[in-house]
Amino acid sequence: MDVELKHIHKYFGPVHANKDISIKLSSGTIHGILGENGAGKSTLMKILAGYIPCSSGQILINGIPVKYSTPTEALKYRIGMLYQDPLDFPALKVLENFVLGIPDIPFLNSQKSFKKMFHDLCRQFGFSIDPESSVRRLTLGERQQLEIIRLVAAGASLIILDEPTTGISVAQKETLFRALRFLADEGRIIVVVSHKLEDVMSLCDVVTVLGQGEVVGEVVQPFDPNELLRLMFKEIPAPVPRCTLKCGHPLLWMDRVSAPGGRCGLKECSFTVKEGEIVGLAGLEGSGQNLFLRVASGLVEPTRGEIYLGKEKLTHKGRQVFKNKGICFIPTDRLAEGLFPDLTVSEHFVLTKFDDSFFIPWDKVEQVSVNNIIKFSIKGDSNSKVSTLSGGNQQRLLLSLLPQNPKLILLENPIRGLDVESSSWIWSYLQSFCLKGTAIVFSSSDLDEIFGVAHRIVVFFDGKIVLDSPLEEVSLEEVHQAIAGVT
Amino acid sequence: MCKIMSLFLTLVFAFFPLNFSAHAAKKEFIFGLLLVGPYNDHGWSQAHYEAAKAVEKELEGVKLLYIDKVNPADRPGVTIPQLVDELVSKGAKFIIANSDDMKDGIREAAEQHPDVYFLHISGDDVLTGKAPKNLSNLMGKMEYGKMMAGFVAAMTTKTGKIGYLGPLVNDETRRLAVSSYLGAKYAWEKVLKRDPKKLIFQVSWIGFWFNIPGVTADPTQVTQNFFNSGFDVVISGIDTTEALVVAGQKRKEGKNVWAIPYDYKDACNEAPEACLGVPYFNWKPGYIHFVKSAMNGNWRQEWLWLEPDWHDINNPDTSSVGFTPGPALKPEVKKALAEFQKKLGDGSLNLFVGPLYYQDGSVFLSKGEQATDTKIWYMKQLLKGMIGPSSAK
Amino acid sequence: MKITDWVIVILAVFSVTTVVLFLVGAPPIDAYMLIFKGAFGSWRHFAQVLNVWIPLVICSCGLLFTFNMGLWNIGVEGQIMLGAVGSTFVIKACSSVFSPSLILVVAGICAILGGALWAVAAGFLKIRGNVHEIFSGLGLNFVAQALILWLIFGPWKRPGIASMSGTEPFPKSLWFPVPAGWRVSPFMIGLAVVLLLATAKVLQATRWGLVLKALGSNVKAAGVYGISVNRNLFFAMLCAGAFAGLVGFFQTTVIYHRLIPAISSNYGYLSLLVVMLAQYNWKPVPFIALLFAILQVGSIQLPLMLRIDSSLSGVIQGLLVLTAIGVMYARRRS
Repeated sequence: MDVELKHIHKYFGPVHANKDISIKLSSGTIHGILGENGAGKSTLMKILAGYIPCSSGQILINGIPVKYSTPTEALKYRIGMLYQDPLDFPALKVLENFVLGIPDIPFLNSQKSFKKMFHDLCRQFGFSIDPESSVRRLTLGERQQLEIIRLVAAGASLIILDEPTTGISVAQKETLFRALRFLADEGRIIVVVSHKLEDVMSLCDVVTVLGQGEVVGEVVQPFDPNELLRLMFKEIPAPVPRCTLKCGHPLLWMDRVSAPGGRCGLKECSFTVKEGEIVGLAGLEGSGQNLFLRVASGLVEPTRGEIYLGKEKLTHKGRQVFKNKGICFIPTDRLAEGLFPDLTVSEHFVLTKFDDSFFIPWDKVEQVSVNNIIKFSIKGDSNSKVSTLSGGNQQRLLLSLLPQNPKLILLENPIRGLDVESSSWIWSYLQSFCLKGTAIVFSSSDLDEIFGVAHRIVVFFDGKIVLDSPLEEVSLEEVHQAIAGVT
Repeated sequence: MCKIMSLFLTLVFAFFPLNFSAHAAKKEFIFGLLLVGPYNDHGWSQAHYEAAKAVEKELEGVKLLYIDKVNPADRPGVTIPQLVDELVSKGAKFIIANSDDMKDGIREAAEQHPDVYFLHISGDDVLTGKAPKNLSNLMGKMEYGKMMAGFVAAMTTKTGKIGYLGPLVNDETRRLAVSSYLGAKYAWEKVLKRDPKKLIFQVSWIGFWFNIPGVTADPTQVTQNFFNSGFDVVISGIDTTEALVVAGQKRKEGKNVWAIPYDYKDACNEAPEACLGVPYFNWKPGYIHFVKSAMNGNWRQEWLWLEPDWHDINNPDTSSVGFTPGPALKPEVKKALAEFQKKLGDGSLNLFVGPLYYQDGSVFLSKGEQATDTKIWYMKQLLKGMIGPSSAK
Repeated sequence: MKITDWVIVILAVFSVTTVVLFLVGAPPIDAYMLIFKGAFGSWRHFAQVLNVWIPLVICSCGLLFTFNMGLWNIGVEGQIMLGAVGSTFVIKACSSVFSPSLILVVAGICAILGGALWAVAAGFLKIRGNVHEIFSGLGLNFVAQALILWLIFGPWKRPGIASMSGTEPFPKSLWFPVPAGWRVSPFMIGLAVVLLLATAKVLQATRWGLVLKALGSNVKAAGVYGISVNRNLFFAMLCAGAFAGLVGFFQTTVIYHRLIPAISSNYGYLSLLVVMLAQYNWKPVPFIALLFAILQVGSIQLPLMLRIDSSLSGVIQGLLVLTAIGVMYARRRS
């Protein structure tokens, strides 16, 4: 099967997200789509997978134009997509989820035959998922594997993966790449959207680079990393410098804090962060690090233990008090938890920077938001709804909403899903806070990020802190072991 | 949005020339009727509706405009003065309000339209002096009809237990329940000559003239409770026919029970095999009297309480109150009833004669005392010997 | 929605209604004419329309607060009833003590308090008991109805009478003053307009209005901004309840001059439709309310002149909302 996208345009109101994109995807190849955030990658893939309609343009399968308007219809044309957050029914069992995901099954009569099909596919790809466990208990990587098996069983010949290597372990990444290669060798088309140069280079046969909604270049194996970087960014970003300030007085102190939530809760965690210090939280997805950030920000009330800011006890004070004391929190899932999708950029500034006004001084707000849009190079204007902004721009907006002198910034996967340029910009901006004595605690599934910017690493396993050490006193090996729970 | 509204309005205005007229070209006298229930309720409202129709047919140049279900539950937000405005704008010169419930609204409307004549059925604003000059009252002496109902009930019952399905509680409804009781008591003690203590006469009030789900007690339920606890005759005092319908169902289940509906002369048709008869109103004589006086301009404020025509209580042109014997009535009871009616008619029998006592034991009529119309009209309590509340709890 | 969408909606509703009229054997053009003339035929008719328009607008204003926050304040019916109970209480209790104008003012305040109390009760159940406001609202509507029935049948019954028809009418001096020949209170029209403009101002130009909109957009993000969901929920419900209570005051002192079981005239449910049709935006509210009021008042002509049921107006109102939602959905898909 060969698939061709011809002159695809997509408008979101005034925003022109895809401009005349034409790409040929041929059978048996792994096709990479590379680009900065806001380059239009996700939009294009959602069009291809039937999640959103294009404004104009055609999709041809084996030279014949086709039309579909839902993912289910797309699957009839054998096109399927894995999502960044796999879309499944978390309450169901793996096998049930697998069966439900296959359209047009005549009857649910033969549990056994499905089980056999599931096992065969798992063996083929070297996946190891228990069909009887509940989907909620799966790691991100395992959910991804489940999605791939489901799409294959549903007969997909073109499989789209959006940022597949984010949030999964190294071993899972290797398994994934092997499976993808296997699928391509069978004659399927694999489309991989990523901003990780390294992954794309080792996996893909062809790479199309998008920029500002347009195709800026197409490159085939063997790749020259510098050429790709040049295509992606006008200039190659410099590596992030580490903040070198000596850390000051203890700022936030958590004493044997426990809290419910997530997969394993939080168990008896003690932790201190000093002024100007940057602490990276590592661990497998769902090991407690993100719950820890929510407890530290006052969003989740601990069941046991105490939280102090300086000498003041903050336990059970509620999020408002934490916020007023200068504790900021930026969650990963920006649209779900960090922003108000239907509100405009400038309305967000009203909520954060105009606390004291009863009537909204719209002139001043406009001024503030225009200033910040320029300062943070947010692509969009003050009247755009934030749901129309791209992920990177949403993150920049969240940073611009931070107060002047916060005491502590808590971030959950601050650069997940962002390109190299945005990531480096974001970290250099965050580090400017450290120089003023602000402490930063962030979680990341990317050890490179932690080793690149943090002073200290804290590793979570099963809701407990299993390692807490300055970076210069710990080896990568020890960190890996701690993450895996080996003691 | 503004544009849309104007578009909508122009659209409607475009049809304006097609205007068809409610008040036709030739000179006619329009009278309006506000019915509290549906015009086909086999009860109170249908009796009024048919009388008004008959008036329309009989009097030349008279046209009827009516609206039914005039009550806040069926027509939320609609008020009596509003509907009167409506009828007046359609040319109505005389308006009848058929429910006790419309008392305050119709008085308000009468004050707003001094050039239009009003008739409030069952009210007493003329007696109390509250009514403006253009408002009269009309009622039929249903006491007699109810006495007959009570009479046949007592003559028929096997268990000696008679239930009375009452609407709301006021002077009128107490008066009618008392009349039924007096009729039953007479039959029991004087005709059958049975032990007075063996007659049980119980009144259950539902709270309004007809069932309003969720607001009133359910008359179907109340009737079933009567039949299930040994009562075998239920006399209905409400505007609709639930009592008879339930009795019909119970008969099909093999229970030997009867009911006596109310208000409308053909009400027995709902379940003839269970129907002992129906005391009914015939509003036509009264209506014709008032329509004529409104038409001819010799209107005079009146409070009319019309008697049956004792020569033929079922004469549609002369008798304001009638009693249709039901198919379930036994021949011998029918004969006794005729005798009873004759005595009432020639004045040899008056049931409102003392000694009679109110429920609380105080004297209603001292020994030998005959009740005046006002004393009967303003019935303050149920009588001693009846079971059931005389007023709200 | 754009103007063209409105045209589509109205045309669609007109055609379906026309078909319905054909089916019941009524001449459609005559029916529309009658409704129109029943609403605009004379000042009396139009005054009647305004008497429906006023409570719809006031009630819709209150609902704008809750809808903007994403709350389904179904309990608005009960809030109107409690407002009616509040004002009746004051009029019953103080009629011999104070001057009529003072009593009416106190009755108004008490009505607002009553409505607000009922709304806050639903809010409290949501905050403390995690009960969805739709369920608590429905429950409280039933309780309010039961309370009114009990009052009418019990403590506030007419002397010597036990009837569900209502309480004794208030003395004339305690009817809300309406100029002779007007049939509608100009003060109440003014009040409705002022409240509408004030609501618009609060929702558009104040930080609180924006906070409500933000919460309606994404409640989960509130914590990150240090916005208290509970406090704002409380105040939004309070506003909606106060407005509904005022409608209860209007219904008892201006329209019915007594307390009746159907005191709310279903204006609460109707207002929910108005605000949904307006897509939670204040600007279309007075126009949609006017359209609904025209239908409500004009449709009484249908049984009177054509002998067809006036519930047709309900059918038209429902169709309007359904088609509008359909058109909006179609827009979003394309």
